Amino acid sequence: MSALRSAHRFDAIGAPWQIDTAEPLGDDVTTAIAERIEVFDRTYSRFRDDSLVARIAATPGVHSFPDDAGPLFELYRSLYEATDGAVSPLVGRALENLGYDRAYSLRPSASAQPVPAWNDSFAWNGRELSTVRPVTLDVGAAGKGYLVDIVGAVLRDFGITDFVIDASGDLVHSGAGSLRIGLEHPLDPTKAIGIAQVSNGSLCASASNRRAWGDGLHHVIDALTGLPTRSVIATWAIAPTALLADGLATALFFTDPERLTAVCPFTYVRMYSTGRVDHSPDFEGELFV
Amino acid sequence: MTTLTSKNAAVALAAFALLGTVAGCSSAADTASGTDTGTTTETDTNSGTDSGTTTSGTYTDGTYDASASYQSPNGTESIDVEITLADNVITAVTVTGNGESPDSQRYQGEFENGIADVVVGKNIDEISVDKVAGSSLTSGGFNDAIEQIKSEATA
Repeated sequence: MSALRSAHRFDAIGAPWQIDTAEPLGDDVTTAIAERIEVFDRTYSRFRDDSLVARIAATPGVHSFPDDAGPLFELYRSLYEATDGAVSPLVGRALENLGYDRAYSLRPSASAQPVPAWNDSFAWNGRELSTVRPVTLDVGAAGKGYLVDIVGAVLRDFGITDFVIDASGDLVHSGAGSLRIGLEHPLDPTKAIGIAQVSNGSLCASASNRRAWGDGLHHVIDALTGLPTRSVIATWAIAPTALLADGLATALFFTDPERLTAVCPFTYVRMYSTGRVDHSPDFEGELFV
Repeated sequence: MTTLTSKNAAVALAAFALLGTVAGCSSAADTASGTDTGTTTETDTNSGTDSGTTTSGTYTDGTYDASASYQSPNGTESIDVEITLADNVITAVTVTGNGESPDSQRYQGEFENGIADVVVGKNIDEISVDKVAGSSLTSGGFNDAIEQIKSEATA
């Protein structure tokens, strides 16, 4: 980590990012990264009119996705099954109804309703999504982590193998050494509840107060009720990729970690609203409890 | 995990409060539906040990207070942090939570124990991690808070 002296900072998909490398990134690299992020945003953003997701929300039919969609939908399907439907890409409408919409109205506009079931809503054949009615997708449970992996792949395309990408809570470490990551207290960003050690892998954090806008209203939605979750308030998952770590960090809000090891072996820490913290037996790091 | 968006929700910033960042904290208070947070000022109450004992250290011995507010599911709440420095080492940490709900008292209680376990007896310059992962929009709240205290102590 100490050898990565150069930092490239920028904002993307609503969060500050930082890429640490040994040498400053050339303009060709930073341009390639920005273009790749734009392509991702133009596909998956629920917040822009010209995205593929916006077209799917407006018009039923057969929609072709770029090649990167395969792993994302596969992970969503695994998490959907492991959480009995609680983690779903179909929470977009529920988020809008609760006020987390394009205009950031942040005012609930409709009573909570269960999110539609996967098989009733669309068919995914690995490349195309077929719908019979408008569907509001939201890939927030794993999308940012996936984009971190994708940006890492861009760096590797340029021959850069030693790097750290920090997309505000979704981190990837690649190359020599390891990364010490403070686990931020979910109710007080000036504090840490522990330190995790990550090497050639990813740690993703998820906290229900990260984007909160009212009494009990935040962006981690239980698809079975259409309501924000309450009992788990923060999770950290460590997995080989950020796609997995991000998705697993979300799923830890809803289900027994043992069921999630079927998706991918991983380690975790999570904190409940009771103040209790639990973690996987093989969690590498320390907890200040 | 966040939803894909090109804008930072102002409300997300409301969750971000840091020792000494008065502007940030007051904006947090503004968006917290009129909750009186008692303002987040950092009062430097260096209770000053006598100057004769200052050794080779970079930091002035003494006791430093800071307050911070944060967003919890129960609204805006605050904590007071008191750190005692002697010879560049934190010798005591007191965290006083002002949370009113039972949940807040429990969290704050947990952490009051936690931070004392972590911090006491370690050189202030050694309390560092490479990155922070959690709920605020900035990574580095923890280190920033320590930096804040460091800059106060060198002033």
